[in-house]
Amino acid sequence: MTMRISTFFYTLWQGIRNIFRNKGYSAASIATISASLFLFGLFFSVIDNISYMVHNAEQGVAVTVFFDDGTTTEEINQLKIALEERPEVKQVVYVSADDAWAEFSKEYLGDYADGFTENPLAGDDNLEIYLNDVSKQGELVNYLEKLDNVREVNRSEITADTLTGVNRLLAYMSGFIIAILIIVSIFLISNTVATGITSHKDEINIMKYIGATDFFVRAPYVIEGMIIGLVGALIPLGFTYFFYNRVVGMIADRFSMLSNILKFMPAADVFRYLIPIMIALGVGIGFLGSTLTIRKHLHV
Amino acid sequence: MAWNRTEIPGPVESGEVVISLRDVSKRYSREAPAVSHANLEVHEGEFVFITGETGSGKSTLLKIIMHQLVPTDGTVNVLGYNLNKIRHTKIPKFRRNLGVVFQDFRLLKDRNVYENVAFAQRIIQVPGEQIRRNVTDALDMVGLADKYKRQVTQLSGGEQQRVAIARALVNKPFILLADEPTGNLDAETAWDIMQLIERINTQYGTTVIVVTHDRSIVDRMNKRVIEMKQGEIIRDDPARTEEEYDEYYEDENAYQDVDSDGYDYEN
Ligand SMILES: Nc1ncnc2c1ncn2[C@@H]1O[C@H](COP(=O)(O)OP(=O)(O)OP(=O)(O)O)[C@@H](O)[C@H]1O
Ligand SMILES: [Mg+2]
Repeated sequence: MTMRISTFFYTLWQGIRNIFRNKGYSAASIATISASLFLFGLFFSVIDNISYMVHNAEQGVAVTVFFDDGTTTEEINQLKIALEERPEVKQVVYVSADDAWAEFSKEYLGDYADGFTENPLAGDDNLEIYLNDVSKQGELVNYLEKLDNVREVNRSEITADTLTGVNRLLAYMSGFIIAILIIVSIFLISNTVATGITSHKDEINIMKYIGATDFFVRAPYVIEGMIIGLVGALIPLGFTYFFYNRVVGMIADRFSMLSNILKFMPAADVFRYLIPIMIALGVGIGFLGSTLTIRKHLHV
Repeated sequence: MAWNRTEIPGPVESGEVVISLRDVSKRYSREAPAVSHANLEVHEGEFVFITGETGSGKSTLLKIIMHQLVPTDGTVNVLGYNLNKIRHTKIPKFRRNLGVVFQDFRLLKDRNVYENVAFAQRIIQVPGEQIRRNVTDALDMVGLADKYKRQVTQLSGGEQQRVAIARALVNKPFILLADEPTGNLDAETAWDIMQLIERINTQYGTTVIVVTHDRSIVDRMNKRVIEMKQGEIIRDDPARTEEEYDEYYEDENAYQDVDSDGYDYEN
């Protein structure tokens, strides 16, 4: 379909006119789309942040292997090299008993550590294994437990699994709510456009007998829907953008003791995806709503 | 106005056939047909009146010609388009050859005179600079050049119909179809509008079909007259020759009143 520049602007102008000729309905549609896309933005930010935290937590998830007494440093080092060959393993750290005691006493005992003259963890050399893929943790633990020199394998699975579970639940719930809201939005846009078409019946008929193509008759209504969708996306985007840093700052303040888990994504990272997704959603909803109506009401 | 066809001085009957209806019938429902077995040929450059009592099928016939309605039976050919078989995507192209005028003007009430006429050009995607020239020419033709900025709601009925005619003209149609174009106008204004339509016919060679109830106008204008009754074409009289025309007016006294209004219908 070739189109002159002047025709394009004329059509665009007609679409904008339609919105203003039909203020009440247009406003209602924009409000619903804004509401649904605001919720979308909200859930998106939350889910995105939880994923981000899960990812961070996973980085810290480690399997710790302790060895039978009498296992030599040589043997431990051999196992370390063997483990590093495995694809799911990201890093293996050798923690000597002295290292372990130093860290433990620093973290939990502080000044009281001076009371110990000997290392109570003597002989507790261990390997900390960090994984690329947390889901492979069980498999790895099984493998380790069968090894000869291994006395004990400690795993720390809880944080990652819980977070993933919460995230999934939230995703399903928000998906459901958003789907309903999007359907309502499409319905409302469709109604708005239908009202416009009905009130312009005469104009449409005139266009038809002058020889307007279907495309020319329909385009302003599609544009009307798309502009409504676009505005309906920009409003909640502005809103979310304005409040994101404030809310994140507030939560971090309130729950400062959880600061090692509550690591939020920087706004720029969230909005890099949120902006195009929301605009595409808004315009898409508008396009769909108007196209459906035109099919039904505008027999050119 | 830059018409790219030869101007034909006055009614011509020898031109090509531009409208041809063969045994055309249209039924809206199971009742009597609105148009019944109509046969009609209109030649290029002709001026044709269609008259008949209310409900006789005049509008229906016009709608069939402009492909707003598809006949139940019979074949319709307009400007080489077989309207029984025309593809949906070809309809806009076909309609661009027609200009249509209605009794109720059907202007866009939220726009001014200029925009109403330009609308027809925008729809067929004429480039911007050309639109200005063509609209000015069309408004000149209908005598409204100086009122181009007026809102159409602030015009008299006759002026509104002139705008509608300018809109029908601006795309330089081959055929002008007018359904009761003077039905809402007083006798004097009606006569002016009819004179304008005649001038379009003679100056541009546009083929014209006018549906009208107004016997006095039909009688004064000496054109081909088709009369319909209960869906059938019951009369199809060609325009009278010079002698017949003079004779007719010598006998006729009924229009002395109109004559004394000062109209010079020989011009
Ligand atoms: N859309 C329609 N549905 C059903 N019947 C219709 C429809 N349009 C017209 N008719 C009927 O068809 C017949 C012819 O109508 P038409 O409008 O062609 O008459 P007309 O000669 O133009 O009358 P008028 O001089 O009053 O305008 C009438 O009996 C009318 O009631
Ligand atoms: Mg009629």
